[in-house]
Amino acid sequence: MSFSRERKKLKGVSWVRREAKIYVSIGVMAAAIIVLFARLVQLQVVQQQEFGKESEKNSIKKIIETPARGLIIDRNGKIIVDNRPSYTLTITPFQFDKNLIDEVASLSGIDPEEIRNELADAKGTNRFNPIKIKRDIDFKTISYIEENRDRLKGVSYQVESLRFYPNKFKASHIFGYNAEISEKGLNESTENYYRQGDLVGTTGLEKFYEKSLRGEKGSRLILVDVNGREVGAYNDENNDVKPVNGSDLFTSIDSELQEYAEKLMGGRRGAVIAVDPRTGEILCLVSKPDYDLNAFIGSPDAKEINRMFNHPEKPLFNRVTQTRYPPGSTWKMMMALAAMASGKITPTTTISCPGSFTFGNRTFEDHGGYGSIPVVRAIEVSSNVFFYKLGLMLGIQDYHDYSAMFGFGSRTGIDLPNETKGLLPSQEYFDKVYGVNKWSQGLLVSLGIGQGELGVSPVQMVGYTAAICMNGMYIQPHLVRKIYNSSTGIETPVEVKKRQIDMSQKYFDAVKKGMYLVVNGSGTAKNIRNSDYVLAGKTGTAQNPNGNNHSWFVGYAPYDDPKIAVCVLGENAGWGNMFAAPIAAAIMVRYLSGNSADVFNENAKMEVND
Amino acid sequence: MDRKFFDRFDITLFLSVIGLIVIGIFAIYSATQSSVNNSGFYIKQMTFAIIGLVMVIGITYLPPRYISSLSYYAYGLALVLLLLVLVFGRTINGNKSWFYIAGFGIQPSEFAKVATVMAVSNFFYKGDEDNQKFSITQLLTATGIVLLPAILIKLENDTGTTLVMLSFIIPMFFFAGVSPFLLFAVVTTVAAAVLAFINIYYFAVFLALLILALYFFKKHWLLSAGVFLINVIAGYSVSFFYSKLQPYQQKRIMAVFDPASDPLGSGYNVIQSKVAIGSGGLFGKGFLQGSQTQLRFIPEQWTDFIYCMIGEEFGLLGAGVVILLYGIIIYRLLTNAYLSRNRYMMLACVGFASLFFFHMFINVGMTIGIAPVIGIPLPLVSNGVSSLMSFLLMVGIGMNTYRHKDIFLS
Repeated sequence: MSFSRERKKLKGVSWVRREAKIYVSIGVMAAAIIVLFARLVQLQVVQQQEFGKESEKNSIKKIIETPARGLIIDRNGKIIVDNRPSYTLTITPFQFDKNLIDEVASLSGIDPEEIRNELADAKGTNRFNPIKIKRDIDFKTISYIEENRDRLKGVSYQVESLRFYPNKFKASHIFGYNAEISEKGLNESTENYYRQGDLVGTTGLEKFYEKSLRGEKGSRLILVDVNGREVGAYNDENNDVKPVNGSDLFTSIDSELQEYAEKLMGGRRGAVIAVDPRTGEILCLVSKPDYDLNAFIGSPDAKEINRMFNHPEKPLFNRVTQTRYPPGSTWKMMMALAAMASGKITPTTTISCPGSFTFGNRTFEDHGGYGSIPVVRAIEVSSNVFFYKLGLMLGIQDYHDYSAMFGFGSRTGIDLPNETKGLLPSQEYFDKVYGVNKWSQGLLVSLGIGQGELGVSPVQMVGYTAAICMNGMYIQPHLVRKIYNSSTGIETPVEVKKRQIDMSQKYFDAVKKGMYLVVNGSGTAKNIRNSDYVLAGKTGTAQNPNGNNHSWFVGYAPYDDPKIAVCVLGENAGWGNMFAAPIAAAIMVRYLSGNSADVFNENAKMEVND
Repeated sequence: MDRKFFDRFDITLFLSVIGLIVIGIFAIYSATQSSVNNSGFYIKQMTFAIIGLVMVIGITYLPPRYISSLSYYAYGLALVLLLLVLVFGRTINGNKSWFYIAGFGIQPSEFAKVATVMAVSNFFYKGDEDNQKFSITQLLTATGIVLLPAILIKLENDTGTTLVMLSFIIPMFFFAGVSPFLLFAVVTTVAAAVLAFINIYYFAVFLALLILALYFFKKHWLLSAGVFLINVIAGYSVSFFYSKLQPYQQKRIMAVFDPASDPLGSGYNVIQSKVAIGSGGLFGKGFLQGSQTQLRFIPEQWTDFIYCMIGEEFGLLGAGVVILLYGIIIYRLLTNAYLSRNRYMMLACVGFASLFFFHMFINVGMTIGIAPVIGIPLPLVSNGVSSLMSFLLMVGIGMNTYRHKDIFLS
């Protein structure tokens, strides 16, 4: 039996060896315990007085210092998002007498119940830390607190900087707002930077450039007595960390143009974006309806904020970057370029364009018959039949691939959060939606004129327009040119992606010629022809199953040396040449004239033949 | 109870454990009583302590072969739980090592420590304590048994527990009968790397001592020279790689060894903790009277920094008693290892003693500023059900070893 054999073995030398090992182990442990004891004696006996004093009279407290956020500056160096000092009413629970709640409530104009809740929420945290009760209190309240300092124990105020917008325009969707960080935001943040009550960029540039704008918090270690009163700096401030100021954003916004564009859009729903096609810099960006950023400052009124969030017209939504619409006829240049580049047609190929087109058993209408016409003419008159046919000729693969080259179906990379990719259909997409071989090529007919399952955002459209007028140079549209850190003096230019779309110059020339004729020939936007500047562009009227048509215009100017490209969208605003084109023209002329000319004419009407 | 009962029931170990748990519950109460959210912690700790002590007695009376035959299953279960927590776990304080089941936080890594010691014990069960002829494959396999869960725990971003996992390899190998010279070579190489990093003069002194030690081992001179060379290389390569790191990475490593270099992070806690313990003096400020504790200068001190609360409110007396109780527990576990005729139980007790020792030394050392700040709990004292139960599991097996010390079962 293995039992006795094993036991015999174990009975041999091993006991001696084991004993030695046990002695070694106990020796190591004893040595370690002696070290711990020695250190305890050193701390608790030898240095007891020193530490005792430190803990009884003085304790170290860490005060977090939040720097002011970086400024936002327009293309001419004007500050368009500024800071102003404000006072925040605080209560320090350790010193605060609960009987004062009613007085503080009437002083700050908030419900006493709310103060009780705030105090209850703060239980379990350091009772010496002041709790922020109300932001942005007025100077009268401050004076009152100062005068009654002895009686109002624990009631105080902190200076905080809040946003201030010194502008005649809103630009709400560009700047975005700051709000107190949510519990979710706190939990999701991995960098352990934010604390409850911190303001954090929530939308727009404030969110996109949060890390640059916020700077870095600093901290001071101070000595406090048993009652939490500050008695001096710890270790001669050697362990303090100075806050780093937030970096300033130098944007390409043209304040005057922004103001003008917002005025033109008035109370309509829609979007405007203008860029300098040579650089991709955004000159103005408007999404309507917009909202008042000031409503989010200080202690925002919850009812008012809720009203904004639940408003049926969605004012918080950025229509330039977050929505997708079918582009309608503004898509036709895309089709023309794709058809030429893939060799389906040449600039001189003519296609017969009667007043309608039948595919299978469905008839697709056009607004007129044009005979046999080449691509330039087709763009000028916005023939539908011409582009129905191009859609079919291209096939879904080329349709998708060439459109993708102009940024459709993917994010432009504009420096605003939550940009949509839009929807650019592909073989895989249709296979997934309808099933393999379950969809007909007939889908390509509508897609040819920018209808059907195609979704683009105004920022994608302006990128595409700029790329056309720059002969295929696609530059990522962007708002910020450089980030300037005022503490270090370091300027960081923002990296902008550029790419040259590989297509023959001939094709761009043909499309641009068509866009020229739209305005300056017998095209669909003759109404915006300008005697001082040669404008080019394309109207679009996108059918919308949920209401009136969306009105589009994309264009650029001057024709031979583009300095501005623009996209205007009017939600449910009808014909492209009625709503969008006059606004786009006015913006281009205004910009080219150095923000002086105003050619906007609301009543510029002409016969409708988009 | 007669003498015979105490012959088979390790009352010293049992009472020391109860002593630590009671001190722990008082400490947790003191550290949380002013907090609204956490004031129930001590009740939870007390409840599980009672359940755990009943479990200890239950384990004491189990036949040892049940325990050893469960080893690999326990180990397998631990691995599965560690994998599951990596996928589904919840992140707390940067560690993704928690499960939440019915409101209870469970940390599989705590259980993995026990299971891994059991698995290593089982692996060496059949080995021969005297003729230390382990094949390379055997040694690598045994090391692998430890490294596998250790890597999973590291992936949870729990560096403290990862280091804990490595703490019992050397002691267990030593008792299993692996050549002391080999272990000596490994230990000195690690020590050389750490010392060379901390201070080049320490490293020089260390090398001198190493030569002396190698002389006493009386091994072949070529072998001794080889070990010496490896030590030198280890020391130099650490300095070399450190210099190649980015400054922020260097800063992060320095903060572990020298908390004062990071006064707002781990250093802040150590400064506060030293003030708390130092101001406690001989007899402490009294229960619930510690200003550092009660004014919450140290965050979450009911967990890893609970010792500074004991030091402040109970003074050198309380702090010393706690260390003494650990000394007794570790001493009893080692004695039980020595007495046992069951090789599995002997090795398991050594592993558990190492775990108690490493946890205690690093945790206490951290609060008094002589050990790096590594977030690991103080056994049986820190608030936390997973940690409490896994240490009680170890105590149970230790008690079982004492009860069955005269019986050999293979």
